[in-house]
Amino acid sequence: MSVKNGINGWAGTIVRVNLSTGTITKEDTLPKYKPFIGGMGIGYKVIWDEVPLDADPLGPDAKCVFGVGPLTASGVPCSGRMNITLLSCWSKGYSIVDAHMGGHIAHAFKYAGYDAMIVEGQSDKPVYIKIDDDKVTIEDASHIWGKGTFEVNATLAKENGPEFDVASIGTAGENLVHMSNIVTSFGNSGGAGIGALLGSKKCKALVVRGTGAVKIAEPLKVRLLSNYMIKDLVGGNNNHTVPCHAQSWSEYVATNNRWQGAPGITWDKASKGPIDMGEQPSGQINVAALRCNKGVFDFGEIAEKYTVKQGGCSSCPVRCYTEYDMDPLAEYDLPTHVSNTCMPIIKMLEWYPNHKDANGESVPSTHDFVDEKDAKMILGGAGSRAADEYGVWCNYGNLYEDFNMAYTTGVLKDVADRLYPGEWDTIPWALMEAGDPRWVWECYRRISLGKGLFADLGLGTYELYQKWGMDDPEKNVAGINFYDFVNGKNFNIGHNGYPRHHGPENCWQAGTLYSMMYNRDCMIHHLINFCSSGAPYYDIIKPVLEHFFGEGCTDAQKKYTPINENKIKLAKWAFIGKQWHDSATLCNWMYPMTIATSKKRQYIGDLDLDAKYMSAVLGEEYTREDQERDSERISQLLRVITAISFKLNLGSTNLRKDHDHVSDWVFDKEPDFKAFDEGTVKLDREDWEKSLDMWYEALGWNKETGIPTRETLEKFDLAECADKLEELGLI
Amino acid sequence: MAETMDRKSFLDKDYTRRQFLKLSGKSLAGLALSSSLLSVLGVSEKAVAEDKVRVWAFPQGLLVVDADRCVGCQRCEINCTLTNDGCCSSYISRVKVTRNLYSSRNGQGLYTEDNWTYFPDTCRQCENPACGNACPMQAIYSDENGIRRVDTDKCIGCGACTAACPWHMPTVNPETHKSSKCIMCGACAEGCPSGALSIVPWDEIVSVSQAI
Repeated sequence: MSVKNGINGWAGTIVRVNLSTGTITKEDTLPKYKPFIGGMGIGYKVIWDEVPLDADPLGPDAKCVFGVGPLTASGVPCSGRMNITLLSCWSKGYSIVDAHMGGHIAHAFKYAGYDAMIVEGQSDKPVYIKIDDDKVTIEDASHIWGKGTFEVNATLAKENGPEFDVASIGTAGENLVHMSNIVTSFGNSGGAGIGALLGSKKCKALVVRGTGAVKIAEPLKVRLLSNYMIKDLVGGNNNHTVPCHAQSWSEYVATNNRWQGAPGITWDKASKGPIDMGEQPSGQINVAALRCNKGVFDFGEIAEKYTVKQGGCSSCPVRCYTEYDMDPLAEYDLPTHVSNTCMPIIKMLEWYPNHKDANGESVPSTHDFVDEKDAKMILGGAGSRAADEYGVWCNYGNLYEDFNMAYTTGVLKDVADRLYPGEWDTIPWALMEAGDPRWVWECYRRISLGKGLFADLGLGTYELYQKWGMDDPEKNVAGINFYDFVNGKNFNIGHNGYPRHHGPENCWQAGTLYSMMYNRDCMIHHLINFCSSGAPYYDIIKPVLEHFFGEGCTDAQKKYTPINENKIKLAKWAFIGKQWHDSATLCNWMYPMTIATSKKRQYIGDLDLDAKYMSAVLGEEYTREDQERDSERISQLLRVITAISFKLNLGSTNLRKDHDHVSDWVFDKEPDFKAFDEGTVKLDREDWEKSLDMWYEALGWNKETGIPTRETLEKFDLAECADKLEELGLI
Repeated sequence: MAETMDRKSFLDKDYTRRQFLKLSGKSLAGLALSSSLLSVLGVSEKAVAEDKVRVWAFPQGLLVVDADRCVGCQRCEINCTLTNDGCCSSYISRVKVTRNLYSSRNGQGLYTEDNWTYFPDTCRQCENPACGNACPMQAIYSDENGIRRVDTDKCIGCGACTAACPWHMPTVNPETHKSSKCIMCGACAEGCPSGALSIVPWDEIVSVSQAI
């Protein structure tokens, strides 16, 4: 147990599970990994030290690193995230990526006494890993192999006992489907292909019980800081700090955001009758969890009808997983209990594109179920449960956007006829055309099989576009390069196989810059959180951000301006801050505390709060400068690993050209506007090239290649990275 | 039962005293409560009728546990252990929600058919405490406020209290080998962000009860 280690914050131990040999060993976390914080940072250091970057991502040399950090389970709010690092089996360059999951397993893992678990080797039979405090064992999983995640999680929880948490992969992972995840709690999951990696190791699940404790240097201070954060700083999900419906205490009302809790907004299906969410004034702890109602944000007030309560992660007072009982699904013999948030639940209508009727007319494929316009919610619920059942990951929406675009442009039919003759007629299109919720279950089932037309979607966009010719107008029946396609459904930020994650559409050049920096969607919420906070832009957002980052650092929505130094400063803070959050671990949907709920603070947040938490937990001074130095170290390592992967796997020596290339739609959309006109979010090519120059300079990277210089790497004690880059001719 | 000055003034009234002696550690079901008292407790008549709300007498007031409002964040356990143990833990927490979150002994929790039913268990502060009665060292004693505490000098960490408690609320800390149990500090309710745990002050209850 961690307390025994006498270390504050960190558990102090990393466990290594070798599935080839069955050996389990333990090593100290500190001091080796302290410069890398925890979570993501530990993962990156382990991959750098131990995994050849040209290894088959699903082969015997591949490893994954489950990691938590010094703030995980420290009592700090929103510290329930677990990071899993691995090599991508699906995106361009096959470089380093992370899966991230919430729920409760990160706390259980930390309480069991671990900062990280390295899983290596491959088992020849189905197994699961059981962590029962200091006892770590490899258990037989033959009875759960081939089962869906809900059944597996229920079975393993029952077999192991009430205090065990579970995370498992679905049949998609078993079948090495790239777009696969690991599922925990109910609807919480980590994606990025971790399902396939664990499937390749025949590792079905992780089961954890932790009866230990995390040692805290100044527990009272942690409690007081937490109370201060919940009272004065944090709002709803994505830290939306202004309520969306008028409340008597609030100076402002947002037009639309995730702080949907209000008098008259109810959880109708609570077991003993509707619960009214009431008012949630800033300054009050006991109503903080009633601020967010993600269901109403996602689907409108119709969501109240099926809401039982709001769930989420350990330690978090903001509940972003609405827990539903959608009884209309019972008529289709589908599970009615559903819970998820954001992309896995809100855009399931993409699986139901318009179809042609008998007269060749394009007609809608969806219909109302019980109430007007409830299809988005009912089909969302069905799709979300199906995706989790099979353990399929949506690649931040690309999975179903690719299906939708391929179907509507005729590419899907053409590919089916060419590559899979006869399969088209076996697909129950009538279900799609009828708006039947069993259709979305069928889509995910077919993807999870790993074979056939739909399974190609599960390759991920990069390999899918190659296989179906969607990356070349000459090679598909629609004559389109789907990476560059301007149609409102293509969100590929570049040609690497993943979309933007709050990029140019609302976070100007900054969102575009950091959307390009990873080997999956960036998952950065630093900017979108304040952009969508509900606070008025000119009265609060702009002055608060300029207070922190200087004049001109932000843009108003649809009023973009050319790049400048302070915009770069803000973008860099967000980029390295993401590494901080996934290493600490803190939820990037909630942190940093940029805008506050508190009027008496003039709505100014507290960007030093994370470091204050670290000091209180560790019992040693840890400043924001320390935080940013360590986070930038991990960011540099990300870039180095990416550069080496691109060299070894693609022969590339230039990340600017081969990794950071932005898709044309970013510049070509809305042809009636010029970039920087009011009313458009399009960017300008010349300004973008200038942005890249400034970005590379700010990060200490070569402007021609986008690769870190030796001087930069040595500044972060990464000289060995510079040596390796030099050996490969990359610097 | 805990007896404080505030409570004495309240309990002097025969009707409510009798009523709340019945309530504490049990449930509200079967009791005729006025609408104003229901309002103060933040519960509905239906909830009372269906036995969905539990209350426990604390020095500060009546602790109300509302399962429907529990969102599973575990902040009750976090605040309990930060306050009482100087660390952060689920297992040794004096209020226990984690063991109900996944697959509870009652067949409820996220990994069961009854997915959305999870809630915190609290110490009942029993009048006739099984934990104290079972302790071979008489380490569980009643303080001046009637709160049962563990004398850690006497406790040998044998776990007899855990086994004897029908709800297994006292827990032997694996690190210190000492038992710990709820001392009614109220940190759990104070930090509960959803109102699933709340302490209704005695003066509010007295005020409403007098209006009955």
